[in-house]
Parts: sequence; C-alpha cells; structure tokens
Amino acid sequence: MNIGAEPPSLDWGVTTDSTSFDVISNLQVGLTQYNGSLQCAPACAERWEVLDGGRRYVFHLRGDVLWSDGRRLKASDFEEAWKRLLDPRTGAQYAYYLYDIENAFAFNTGRIKSGDAVGVKALDDRTLEVRLKRPAAYFIYLTAFCPSYPIRKDVIDRWGDRWTEPEHIVTNGPFLLKDWKHEYKIELAANPLYFEGEPDLKKIKMFMVAEQSTAFALYENDELDYVDNRSFSTPDVERCRSSPQYHNVPLLRNNYIGFNVTRKPFDDRRVRLAFTQAVDRRVFPAILRRNELPAASWIPPQLPGYAPDSGPPYNPERARQLLAAAGYPAGAGFPVVELLYPNREDTRLVVEEIQDQLKRNLNVRIELVAQEWKVYLETLHRDPPPMFRNSWGADYPDPETFMNLFTTYNGNNSTRWSSSVYDRLIEAAEAEQDAGRRADLYRRADRLLCRQEAPIVCTYLSTQNLMVKPWVHGMEFNSLDIQFFKGVTVR
Amino acid sequence: MAWLVLRRALWAIPVLWVVATVTFILVRVVPGGPFDAEKNLPPGIVANIKAKYHLDRPVAEQYLLYLGRLSRGDLGVSYKYANRTVNDILSDAFPVSVQLGAMALAIAVLAGVPLGTVAAVRRGRLLDFACMTLSTVGISVPSFLVGALLIYLLGIWLKALPVALWESPRHMILPALTLSFLPCAYVARLTRASVLEVMQKDWVRTARSKGLSPAVTIVKHVLRNSLVPVVTILGPLTAVLITGSFTVEYIFAVPGMGRFFITAVINRDYDLIMATSLIFALILIVSNTLVDIAYTFLDPKIRLEH
Repeated sequence: MNIGAEPPSLDWGVTTDSTSFDVISNLQVGLTQYNGSLQCAPACAERWEVLDGGRRYVFHLRGDVLWSDGRRLKASDFEEAWKRLLDPRTGAQYAYYLYDIENAFAFNTGRIKSGDAVGVKALDDRTLEVRLKRPAAYFIYLTAFCPSYPIRKDVIDRWGDRWTEPEHIVTNGPFLLKDWKHEYKIELAANPLYFEGEPDLKKIKMFMVAEQSTAFALYENDELDYVDNRSFSTPDVERCRSSPQYHNVPLLRNNYIGFNVTRKPFDDRRVRLAFTQAVDRRVFPAILRRNELPAASWIPPQLPGYAPDSGPPYNPERARQLLAAAGYPAGAGFPVVELLYPNREDTRLVVEEIQDQLKRNLNVRIELVAQEWKVYLETLHRDPPPMFRNSWGADYPDPETFMNLFTTYNGNNSTRWSSSVYDRLIEAAEAEQDAGRRADLYRRADRLLCRQEAPIVCTYLSTQNLMVKPWVHGMEFNSLDIQFFKGVTVR
Repeated sequence: MAWLVLRRALWAIPVLWVVATVTFILVRVVPGGPFDAEKNLPPGIVANIKAKYHLDRPVAEQYLLYLGRLSRGDLGVSYKYANRTVNDILSDAFPVSVQLGAMALAIAVLAGVPLGTVAAVRRGRLLDFACMTLSTVGISVPSFLVGALLIYLLGIWLKALPVALWESPRHMILPALTLSFLPCAYVARLTRASVLEVMQKDWVRTARSKGLSPAVTIVKHVLRNSLVPVVTILGPLTAVLITGSFTVEYIFAVPGMGRFFITAVINRDYDLIMATSLIFALILIVSNTLVDIAYTFLDPKIRLEH
C-alpha cells in the first residue's frame, strides 16, 4: 500500500497526523477499539464501568495481552502513557484530549508540578481508574484513539527519542514494526503474540510515494494492492469509477465557509442567513468529482444528532429578501468582501463556485484571496478575514468533535461567533449519559448553528476513494478513515 | 594546490556563517510557524512545545544557541519528525541523493560531451541538427514531463524497467536518466560551442597540416582545450545534482534529500531548512574548488595562484 509520506513520528504520545496514525493503528491497541460500526469494543480492557454519573470510569484489563517483548500488559502502562502525554516536558500537542480528566489541565499547564494528582490511576495490574472533572459522554472514544494507547516507559527511558525505531520499539497490536526506511518504506509483520491471535496477513509494505500518478501506476502494475486518495488523482477516479475494485466512502470531514461575525457585513445575522441560503450545494460533487456528499448541516449523516432539516434549504428568493432586509436590496451597496482559502486545486474550485453563485443569486462581489497553507493558518488564527474556507475532520465518531468547534471557548472557532445558548446546549450534551437525549441536544445546537445563526455555510463531506485488488479480502472501510489490517487476507 | 584548498576552507567559514545568518532571519520572518496546524492548539500546549524546542527564548538567544550547536556539528532537531534529528534525516537521505546525482552527472558528461563534439564536427549537417534538437528539447522540457514520459514508455508500455521506487540498481535507471536530461543537454550545447571555437584556432590547422588525423586532432587537442567551460559549469551542476532534485525524487519515490528543500519550508521546519541551505552552500564551495583544481590539468596557462 501507499501511505504517501513519511509518518512524522510513530510515538503515539507525540504525533498528531493521520499518516502516523495509519501505521500506529496497526501496531498498537488501546483500552478499546473500533468495531465495524465505529463503536468502542473491548480491546485491552475486557470490560469497563461508568460510575458516579459519568465522572468515574473503571477499566478491567484482559490478562493475556502481551507486549512484543513478551512482558504482560499492566494497567500502569496506561497510567504512565497518559501522564507522559500530559507532562509539559513531553510537549504533546494532543495532551488536551485528556483535559476532561481531573487535574489534567493543571498538570499540563504547569499549575501543579506533579502528575500524582491527575485522575488516572492503576489500582492494580489489571484495573485502571479514571476520574473526570465532569461527566463527558464522548470520553470512551478517546480510549480507542492513538494518543491514549499504553506505553512502555522503560523502553522510552532507555532509548530516548529513538525508541520508535524498529530495533527498539515494543508494541502490543496485531503487527510489529519490522523495518523503517525513512522517507521510503515501512514494513510490518504479523505479531505472533497478539492477544486475538496472529493475523493471517504476514507482511505489509507501506511505501511513501508522494506523487499520485506514480503511485497509481504502481497499482496498475500490481506493485501496490491497495490505494486511496493519496494515490488517486481525480482523472483516475473518473476512469475507475465503474471498476469493481473501486470503493467510495464518505468521511467524517465536513467542509465549510466561515464568516468572521465581528466584521461587517457579517455581524448582521440576516446577511449570513442570506449567504447560506444562496449556495446550491448539489454542484460540489460535479466540480470536485470524488462523489462528495453535499451537506447543509454541521453534524454529518453518519453521527447521532444529524437531521436532514438542520441545515438551511437552497432558496435564492428568500436569500435576496434577507439581504434586502439587511439593507442591501439586490446587492446594492454591499461591500466587496474577501474570501480566504488555502492555495490548493480543490479549494480553489470550491471558492470559485461559491463566488459565482453569490454573484448570480445575490449580486454581491467576493474577492478570492489564496494563501500558502501555513500563512493561511496563521491569518485564520490571528486575524480571520470576513470569509474563509475551512474544514474539520473528526478524531472520534461522536458529534462532540464537530460541535465543540463553535463554542465560545474553542481555539479553533475562527468565526468568533459566541452564543451562550449554543454553549449551554453543548455543555449539556457533553454531560448527558442518555444517548437519545444527547442526540437531541446536539440536533438543537446544529439547527441553531446552521439554520438560525449561520456563522458558517456548510458545503460538503469529503470522501475517501479507494482501489483494492481482487486478491485482497476482508478490507473494511470506515468514515474515520482508519484502515485496520488485522482481518485482511491475500489469496 | 594545498594553499588553494586551505584558503578556500578558511573562506568557507564566513560564507557558511553568512548563509546561516541570512537563512535564520528569513525563516523567522516568513509568516506561519512549525506548529501552526489545522487544529489550533490551546495556548498552554503551545507554551510547552515552544519551551521544549527553546522557541520561547528571545530570537537573539535562539540564534546563539543555534550557532553553538552548529559549531559542534549538530544541525538541530526536526519539529516535523519528532523522533529524528536533522543529522539523522540528512544522513539517511544525503547518500541516496549523492548516488542518484553522481549517476546523472556521469550520464550527462559521458553522453553530453560526445554529443556536443559530434555536433560541432558535423556542423550544419543532419547529425548536428539532430543533436541540437535533442539538447533543445532536453533544456526546455521540464523533468516531471520527461519522467512521466519515461515511466509511461519504459515502465508501463514496454514494462522494461520499474515504474518507480528505490529497491535495486534497475530501479535507479529511470530517475537517473530523467535527472541527467537537462545537464546532458547543457553539456552538449556548451561542448559544441567550445569545440567550434577551438577548431578555428591556428594551432588546430597546424596540427592537421602536420598530418594528424581529424580524430586524433579532435580528441587529443581540440577536446582538451574545449573542456574548460564545460568543467566550469560542472561545479554548480554537481552541487545541484547531488543535493537531490525535488521533482525527480517526487515522481520516482526516491528517498533523497531534494524533497527537503521544498517540504522543510512548507513545514517551517527551521533547523532542517537551515541544514539544507548550509549543505548546498558547502557542496557548492567544495565543487567549485575541485573545478579550479581541474583547470590546471586542462590548461597549463591557468595557475592556481591567479
């Protein structure tokens, strides 16, 4: 297979990117793991209890999980992993995923010096207790997420930064890191000690071919058995769409146009609502040509809380009325506004289409501003322009990962929109233990966000496009875009 | 010669210092930092990361820290590749680029010099026209197109060579050919012009009138005197070729260091950017020194002291 690039790190306490997680997800297992429907199934933990109204979790570990050097997995391997993630000296970017744990924030930000008070504790070798500062219904998903995987502190202490090299790394998952030629290839081999049994697939070669057309040529020459978007140019997708080897999976990645609501004219809710109803989302799959799913709501259809009517309808007539009510009849007097986007082919196509639709439907002029990725990010975080194009990918399959983004306190909320009603709905949903009531709270928040307040215009969900050779069996694709190989066979 | 090498080595220190300083300033002036990512980090976490990499210190202090490390041969850490130092990264990638670059350089010289010579000798004839058309194509067609054509022709259509990857000597042929295309064309054009010029000299006529065959005159007398301009461009050419080509490495999935000239900047991987610039400068200095030494063998009129 082709992973497209060098994984920045195989240290699951430090890395944050999907390429690294693609490898780590096959090397290592956490307390839970995703099943086919992306629910958390038992893994290192054979069962767990949620106590004290969702404030306390007690995980009971299996007794037969072995590390690749033969040592038995202990609950303290988790405690050490989580405390290392939170230790300020580690400089872990994803430490904030554990901020719901008691004293985690204080320890990570140096307010307390010792990790002893952090609410994660190995009660004995097979019992791990986690105390949260408040109920967080999505917390269980974090136990399937790479940064929460256990570590071997003795291995890290011994080898330092080099502990992730094949000759040092110790893991507990279905595959072992056999070889790593940096910037070129990673080889995994089946782990005979894996607690669910040694996988059928004995060897996986992960090449790092950056150029899509090269990777696809390798696939067509039978040198790769499986390719995804990283190896699949749009013309190739078009060409292969009808092949039985082709698969298309909608991902938990939603794309949107954001408004900086502190800037005129988007401080006026009517202008934002006019814009969101003036965009016909059905055209995006035709432009981007990867079977994208048009989306008008922020919660994707795969998640609880989604409702088809949460998003605004396409209604140019109503949009013109709203714009007129805001003081711009037929777009008269509307200032030229900037729309910032990262300089990429797909984003350019999207913003050009939106520019065109807004001109046709509302007679407003949008000026497109392209910036190089890092410059764009800095602009967005420091001084967001009136309009910007952005997207968000889920870290775990729960509406929280999307909905928290537009709370007042979220550092990624570049719209600067702040609604105490919305914040309260999200806080209530986070604490709610009943799945039905929780979905309803998110549904209400989604409607408020997309249909009533509209600090964003949702556009479409990205998709994963894949080709798999006929001799590869048992590949399962999921909307989190994590590929597990333990059930795969080659015949 | 020893004096020349010593003088160049001493000169290299201030040159590298200037390169380091200018690059250090430039990478920090460019907007966007190494830890800007799609998911904006909470301020507390940014503070932890900056402290870990000493990026929380004043820029002047960072600069002095960097120079201190550099003087000990430590090229720093990679912010992108958390578990690897810049020394690790380059010691993996540089030998690959040297191997590929040396092959391409050899092809460029071994094919370019004969092509240019033949074209000059057959000036105005069909062979000259063919050689020069080929070299014009070589100069004007970008390497990604050459690479794609070679992949299609030899890899996919004829299945004679592997499409990409870096597994065996056979895998090296297509990338080396692609990388050599442009320098080969340059060398051929330069050789042709130079040979034509030398062939007009009186002493060539003398050699011919003394009864030397055309072939001997060309090979023994003309060519040797024609090579000075060719050798001159070999200095920068070597530096460019052995530090890797982003395009060729990219399309053939070759794990060389050429990619870092681009990706390190995209990632704002400060120390890696600095290291690639410094290595490029160092190799340029070394290869230009070698070129100066080569002059003395080709043309006794050139003395190193001058």
